[in-house]
Amino acid sequence: MTQPAEHVSVQVEVNGRRYQRSVMARLTLSDFLRDELGLTGTKVGCEHGVCGACTILIDDEPARSCLMLTVQADGKKIRTVESLASGREMSPLQACFQKHHALQCGFCTAGFLMSATALLEEGQPTREDIVETLSGHYCRCTGYSPIIDAVEEAAAKEPS
Amino acid sequence: MKSPVFAYAAPNTVAEACSLLADDEDAKLLAGGQSLVPLLALRLAAPTTLVDLRLVPALTGITHDQGVLRLGAMTTHRSIERSPLVQDVAPAIAEAAALIAHPQVRTRGTIGGAVAHADAAAEWPAVLLAMDGHVEVTGTGGSRSISAGDLFMGPFMTSLEPDEVITSVSLPIDGREIWVDEHQRRHGDYGLSILAMTYQLSDGLITDVRLAVAGATGSVTRAPEAEAALEGRAPADSNDAITALAAELSYTSDIHGSADYRRDITTTLFQRALRAAGERSGQA
Ligand code: FES
Ligand code: FES
Repeated sequence: MTQPAEHVSVQVEVNGRRYQRSVMARLTLSDFLRDELGLTGTKVGCEHGVCGACTILIDDEPARSCLMLTVQADGKKIRTVESLASGREMSPLQACFQKHHALQCGFCTAGFLMSATALLEEGQPTREDIVETLSGHYCRCTGYSPIIDAVEEAAAKEPS
Repeated sequence: MKSPVFAYAAPNTVAEACSLLADDEDAKLLAGGQSLVPLLALRLAAPTTLVDLRLVPALTGITHDQGVLRLGAMTTHRSIERSPLVQDVAPAIAEAAALIAHPQVRTRGTIGGAVAHADAAAEWPAVLLAMDGHVEVTGTGGSRSISAGDLFMGPFMTSLEPDEVITSVSLPIDGREIWVDEHQRRHGDYGLSILAMTYQLSDGLITDVRLAVAGATGSVTRAPEAEAALEGRAPADSNDAITALAAELSYTSDIHGSADYRRDITTTLFQRALRAAGERSGQA
């Protein structure tokens, strides 16, 4: 019989590295990534599922890490924005963000990049698909068009 | 960490989940968490025990058998939206799933969780009511099936017993036409009005109508007067039904829209549904 407990043990793979930790059941995945693993690329804006800043990939699907308890990710593969660049070299998607000025303050960027990453991995999105996917994110700076343009260019470059 | 402290358990069987619920009257089930985790973060919910259903294998999957589309309670909105089976037998259901929030939420949120949560502005309760769907539930005392009409008691209220777990949702696929539509202020927001309608079309006439509205009223509701006014009419001959729908529901006012606005939007959604019915009957 499973006994309810305030602390739980979790095993996750984050950006290719395995971690095993004992955490409080109430710890959100966003806090786990930032505070326990030091992966502060993932940003926390609203902490209740509205803004999309905290978006990461769980088993290749985008999800809001502030809307998940860490324990819900037990046994799963997580990717955060830290997984995109190789060393000091930006990924093609990141390079398109730079080229199109798709960020100003950058607070929303990690979330946009992760949703866009999942979308590009699924195939060749239309501009409409891009808009639909990115609608789950708030950006207070750019006015969105540069972000959509950046993802569109990255999609065109994607070998598929 | 913003949510209150709670004890957590992830049982492997429905029976175990039921007895965990029975052991603690302030226990709550966790499905995808897309409504519950923000409620915890805002401290609007403070369960002492969370019973997570993620490890119960029997709760996912989609089947179509003998005219019933059965969706495991832990099936995500995203997998319903993308299921080739659902797209084939009831494309309107796949489209309805795509109306829910954003892709990043649909990957985690589940149909069973949404139905149990019974938000007055959620899509599935309206779809269930209009389709005459059922939920299969299991409690410590056994299993039963509850029709949508007997399930939703009010905003965030269902007739589920405290120790009962929804195991699946069944939707009849019986050749009736299905239509689901909604209006949101911003794409992905809660619907200001959600309209779900099912009906038969024969010789250009609408019969056997079931009409459900959510979002625009305090809780998901049928619209019996509009249904009666539409019975046996051609889609183009529906002014009485439109008037009835505007009059019979008590529309809500809040910061997102006035009651008048919600009534207008609901009327427009109904007109769109009727226009589609006209096109389907080939006499628009
Ligand atoms: S921080 Fe998670 S959605 Fe805003
Ligand atoms: S760049 Fe500042 S919020 Fe998007």
